[in-house]
Amino acid sequence: MTGALEIARRIRGGECTAASVLEETRALIETRDAALNCFTATTFDRAHAEAAAIDARRARGESLPALAGVTYAVKNLFDVEGLATLAGAKMNADAPAALADACLVQRMHAAGAVLVGALNMDEHAYGFTGENTHYGATRNPHDLARVSGGSSAGSAAAVAAGLVPVTLGSDTSGSIRVPASFCGVFGLKPTYGRLSRSGCFPFVDSLDHVGPFANTVADLAATYDALQGTDLRDHACAQRGVEAVGHVAPLPAQTRVGILGGWFDDWAGPAARRAVQTAAAALGATQWCELHGAAAARAAAFVITAAEGGALHRNKLRARYEEFEPASRDRLVAGSLVPASWLIQAQRARRQAYLEALELFGRFDLLLAPSAPDYAPHLGSETFTINGRTVPTRATLGILTQPLSCIGLPVCAAPLWPDGDGSGTDDESGAGDMPVGVQLIAAPWREDLCLAAAAQLERAGIARTRLR
Amino acid sequence: MDPADSFPTDALRAYVRAALDMQGYRFSEECVAAITLQFARIESIARTILPPAEELNAITDFGPAPVFRP
Repeated sequence: MTGALEIARRIRGGECTAASVLEETRALIETRDAALNCFTATTFDRAHAEAAAIDARRARGESLPALAGVTYAVKNLFDVEGLATLAGAKMNADAPAALADACLVQRMHAAGAVLVGALNMDEHAYGFTGENTHYGATRNPHDLARVSGGSSAGSAAAVAAGLVPVTLGSDTSGSIRVPASFCGVFGLKPTYGRLSRSGCFPFVDSLDHVGPFANTVADLAATYDALQGTDLRDHACAQRGVEAVGHVAPLPAQTRVGILGGWFDDWAGPAARRAVQTAAAALGATQWCELHGAAAARAAAFVITAAEGGALHRNKLRARYEEFEPASRDRLVAGSLVPASWLIQAQRARRQAYLEALELFGRFDLLLAPSAPDYAPHLGSETFTINGRTVPTRATLGILTQPLSCIGLPVCAAPLWPDGDGSGTDDESGAGDMPVGVQLIAAPWREDLCLAAAAQLERAGIARTRLR
Repeated sequence: MDPADSFPTDALRAYVRAALDMQGYRFSEECVAAITLQFARIESIARTILPPAEELNAITDFGPAPVFRP
């Protein structure tokens, strides 16, 4: 599948039609998704109408919007008119169909994009592996025996497999960045409050973010631009105008890039450390720094997620416990028992870590850290071991992403290939040629810097996707 | 600390049972045991950001717990 901007350019120039792009997309999904399990629903009837409208506009000589004819899909927690919003849960399959599209789906439509379906995820977004007992696991396109990462599992895998050039996902504690890392694609978790979540099934209101995945930084930035704007329906959505990134500007030469050590190095395995070293060299970063509140921020994220998520689902947990995902339902119930004093203390810790991060941004413009401790684990892994510590897989794969979403910073996840010359030769982990991502972290509202850094790594040939 | 190193104490088990009951949950003993393990894990992580019990009386101002906004 061609990139998003290239598709739009070709359609604009009459080299192809939106209808032909849609047919190509449909063929790819029908041929390849059975093995990957990215999609839980397709929306080809709607897609035909959207594609026909684009082709009609071109035929009338109208100028076309930025993403005209670009096929895309959304994590199945976004409302899509006419579909039940699953949020990965079987119990939601019986819910009434959404009466309207989520805000960001409306914005993609306004940008000319063509929605082809809804994507698999961990139930209620509570997991980092993309394994769903009810809808099956989404498999990693680079190794079908491994997880795609989650919870935006289908969103990352569909882009990595080239089924669609862009997708939308959500990130409460790492659910864009972890699957982007495991599947080897670019993902953007914007500043908390940047993009509207209205029409999205919530998980943890005070931590939920939404954002795009893509195969190139230019496509990621163009999609991000199409998604921006205020929305009073989401109380957290900031009252900021569109701050378009447009063509991603080069990273300014004087950009000060710090390498996050401490927590972010302690929980990084050898491959993740190699990825950071490679990215640091390409960005001219030599100084290490530490976010001392990272451990506390991670703990705060864990407690807030458990408490808010548990509270959200308490009534259904009482009545329909057996229908919940077996891998996460006990954690949800336990979360609903968290005392208020713990939650309040978690908010204090969050604030402290945020203030410390702002101080750090007095010394650095951009921070660098691994996106995940290691390569994607194998499907069914209950635990994984990192630097001698064995921890539960589902709850811990986001240990390097949680501290940053907890304090709302914008992060672009860029895919690196630490063992990657494409030969498929194994390293000591036996992972072979798998991706591990890095997080490019900026001060609040500076998504432009995150994207510029990702583009610099992409231009250097260090960060890139490999379609499978 | 390693978050996996979390084992329910008697006090924690009693708390979970009472909290489940007060919130109207009805579970089998097997489920209660599994939920208790999960709660112990949350508690072990929460403990890292909570003031130690012996210091609580000495703290006069915990400071605000603001709603987060970047």
